Amino acid sequence: MKRSVATSLLIGTTALGAACGIGSIGNPDGTDPNDPNNNPTVLPDGGTAPPFAPATAAIKRLTREQYGRTIHELFGLGIKIPTDLEVDTKLHGFSTVGSSELTIGPRAAEQYEAAAFDLAKQVFSDPMRRAAFVGCEPKDAADPCIKTFLAAFGRRAWRRPLADAELTRWGNVVTDVTGKLSSVWVGLEHATAGFLQSPYFLFRVEVGFPDPSKPGRLKYDDYEMASRLSFFLWGATPDDALLDAAGRGELATVEGVRTQALRMVASPKARSALKAYFSEYLNLERLELITKDATLFPMMTRELGVAMREEIERAFEDIAFDRQADYREIFTTHSTWTNSGLAALYGLPDPGPGFSKITLPDSGPRAGLLGMAGILTLYAHATITSPTLRGKFVRTQLLCQDIPPPPPGVVTSIEDDGVTDKTVREKLDAHRKDPTCNSCHRFMDPLGLGMEDFDPIGRHRTMEGTKPVDASGDLDGKPFNGGKELGKALAAHPEIGHCQVKNLYRFATGHLETEGEIGQLAELSSKFEASGFKIKSLLVELVVSDGFRYAEVAK
Amino acid sequence: MSKLFLPRRTLLKGIVSGVAASIALPVLEAMLNSHGDALAEGKPIPKRFGLWFWGNGIRRAHWTPSGTGAAWTPGEELAPLNAVKEYVSPITGLEVKTATHPHHSGFSGILTGKKYFQVGTTRDTIVSTCDGPSIDQTVAEAWKGKAPFRSLELGVCRFRGTDEGTAFQHLSHNGRNNVNPSEYVPAKVFERLFGAGPTTPQISAARKSVLDAVMEDAKALQLKVSSVDKTRIEQHLESIRSIEARLSTTPALCTTPAKPGDYPDSGKEPIAEVNKAQAELLAMALACDLTRVFSVLFSTCGAGTVFWQAGATNSMHQTCHDEPNPQPIVHRATVFTMQQLAVFLETLKATKEGTGNLLDSSAILCTTELSEGNVHSNDEYPILLVGKAGGKLRSGHHYRSTSKENASKALLTALRAVDMTMPSYGEGAGLTSEPISSLLI
Repeated sequence: MKRSVATSLLIGTTALGAACGIGSIGNPDGTDPNDPNNNPTVLPDGGTAPPFAPATAAIKRLTREQYGRTIHELFGLGIKIPTDLEVDTKLHGFSTVGSSELTIGPRAAEQYEAAAFDLAKQVFSDPMRRAAFVGCEPKDAADPCIKTFLAAFGRRAWRRPLADAELTRWGNVVTDVTGKLSSVWVGLEHATAGFLQSPYFLFRVEVGFPDPSKPGRLKYDDYEMASRLSFFLWGATPDDALLDAAGRGELATVEGVRTQALRMVASPKARSALKAYFSEYLNLERLELITKDATLFPMMTRELGVAMREEIERAFEDIAFDRQADYREIFTTHSTWTNSGLAALYGLPDPGPGFSKITLPDSGPRAGLLGMAGILTLYAHATITSPTLRGKFVRTQLLCQDIPPPPPGVVTSIEDDGVTDKTVREKLDAHRKDPTCNSCHRFMDPLGLGMEDFDPIGRHRTMEGTKPVDASGDLDGKPFNGGKELGKALAAHPEIGHCQVKNLYRFATGHLETEGEIGQLAELSSKFEASGFKIKSLLVELVVSDGFRYAEVAK
Repeated sequence: MSKLFLPRRTLLKGIVSGVAASIALPVLEAMLNSHGDALAEGKPIPKRFGLWFWGNGIRRAHWTPSGTGAAWTPGEELAPLNAVKEYVSPITGLEVKTATHPHHSGFSGILTGKKYFQVGTTRDTIVSTCDGPSIDQTVAEAWKGKAPFRSLELGVCRFRGTDEGTAFQHLSHNGRNNVNPSEYVPAKVFERLFGAGPTTPQISAARKSVLDAVMEDAKALQLKVSSVDKTRIEQHLESIRSIEARLSTTPALCTTPAKPGDYPDSGKEPIAEVNKAQAELLAMALACDLTRVFSVLFSTCGAGTVFWQAGATNSMHQTCHDEPNPQPIVHRATVFTMQQLAVFLETLKATKEGTGNLLDSSAILCTTELSEGNVHSNDEYPILLVGKAGGKLRSGHHYRSTSKENASKALLTALRAVDMTMPSYGEGAGLTSEPISSLLI
């Protein structure tokens, strides 16, 4: 079911087919009516979702972020991560969705090979380091400790125990290279580099197996679950404890998964991974290279862009982890983090070196995410604000309401009526007056116009040139004035939590939700709400959900 | 592997940055016959196929040439190509027949002759990828093994696109979500082509031993996964095979040209400088026969590039939508883009090869994902075919359609120019079996 703004606002609530009758003799399709998965879920808009059907399993190429964090897990923090790797392809908002779709082209394979040898060389060029890494001093390629090393490193690198045939294959590589290059250490170095080029390392292999208790589905096995948990919650490869739990069969049950998930979300690694998620979700990586007009905004430097990103990441971390507060507070909070540059931008006293937590004045115009400079800067032009971009951001990113694109052939440029010195609001009046423009722009502009009290780099303003700022806006018929009031309205919006669930689910599973998962998402949203909108709780509920643990039977 | 690979002693004068004409001794020279019109062993000079893509169209009233056939005059926005006009054949008046969504349709339509493939179905926002190989890879597949690199992909403007699909971030596609990302940094292109360190047969054999084991892993994995994933692993295998193939040939075919410098971005992206450096590296790669197929992603589909050189302060995409007529910034940005294309083509033209130059042996398709940015139009499509393709392509000729013919005809024409014999190209409404015969000799 598409939840575009067009369907939810223009046509009204869409009911999805007729609800199945709940009788005592079973559902019309022969499934068990007592299994909640077989019954329609009531959606937030009152419609019903199709019965749960898991998505197709797909192998997942490591993202750059995951590659780097995994290398640190495997070799320690002292290792230098190669930088010449392919840039991730984001799809539907996330690199993890791209990594479930993309493969490894010729150039990427070359880059992975060079990176693997670079890493292996870092380890093996240092006699102390290589001995610690391998765990023994092999005499020759026939030394039995080599097999022990291959089994141990292979399990960490490939996130599962290796089969005998695999140990033999890579043992042969050690023997072969040792012969060719006359050193068992060089042989081991090559095998190490080889493990890092194998599809078992570069892809997370997730296939699933038939589960007799759930016919028609595949269940991810213990080691696959270990990877799913770890790459989602930590952005990195599983640790030994998680692999051990998988080895003991503990990840086959909801309880076992929950136990590990609770351990994992308590780790600092979860904070760092979740910050990376929010950064990707909000496109904060773009702040580093954002271009603003240097004459109008000389203070907009790369350093300031990086600080803007840091502020937003810290605000999310504070709510999700430090205070474990209601997620919706991100839209209303008066707590934030600034360094000197940001404080100057906000007209606040210089906090001294580094970042400091500050409290924005209650009476001030700024609060929450929509008052943070990063968002206001990203969704604005280089010289002027863009109520359209800001409105689109709120609609699509925060409320998950897609805006349909203009059809081919529609003229989108605004005609010049010769009047100069117009405010942005006056310029956009053309959108409102032209019915063709207005059919889509009315979903964006009225939201963004209400954020006109902030300039293109997030400074508060009361004047635009010589004219006073009019920051009156409208959210689906409810008037508001200024970004702070919009933040309050969003925090109370019925779809705000659900949209966060959707995005986190896309990031976690690596795909856009399918029709068969819509009910699952609604259930997760109910749980999120019931928890008081706690992100940590949502992380755990997400990984124990059927959508995270099961796959469709491969076609 | 082809016998065209040249001995190490064949010398090549290095690229002197900024002076393309100083590429004095193309490597193939050493292999030419005494007339300079074929290789010494009697084989013709190899053909090259290329793609040069820029985002967000042109302005038809200012770009489209006047006059047809050999007697044409470029519009003011196409005028920068005057220096290579004898090699340029504009094809105008065609229409992408599979148009439904702005940018998405045109991109897939003009690169594959097909409608795009949609990734995910539960949002109104389309995320798209090519539903098959882009035209450069159609040729690369047919020419596989003729040169060390199956194809080369280069990028110029740094904006990497949006999350609306591989179509918005990449150019060259092997298939659905199977891309050949462009390399944007000249120094990395150099490193890839010319930077191989000293090696020995033993070192190469050791690398091969590792790659063989990786391929065994991949083949075993293919047995376990879905058919879609099997195809993805097959690409990984193919990628490794291409590394192995280079291991078993003599490396360092050319004398290494000068290493390109860095192009730091102080907020004003050095587009012209990067464009020139990439063009010079590509000319060298072609002259050395390191590859015969290339694509250049000048700017992405839905160009997010800020052309400050044209006085722009917003992305090209936004400027096209917002700037009131007569759109002076869009005009200057389009002229700037065509100037960069001109520099690229002039660099190939300046690279001599026998009695001619690289453009004589090439067929290069230059195009974009829509005709006009502010209306997302898919008719009056801007297409240039450049080069003589070894005498097969009629260059310097303006083909004008007055009946909105299928844009895939231009693709089939480009393929015929490099001797591809498939009966048709494209699919559905984009299918055609007719090339533009007046452009073929």
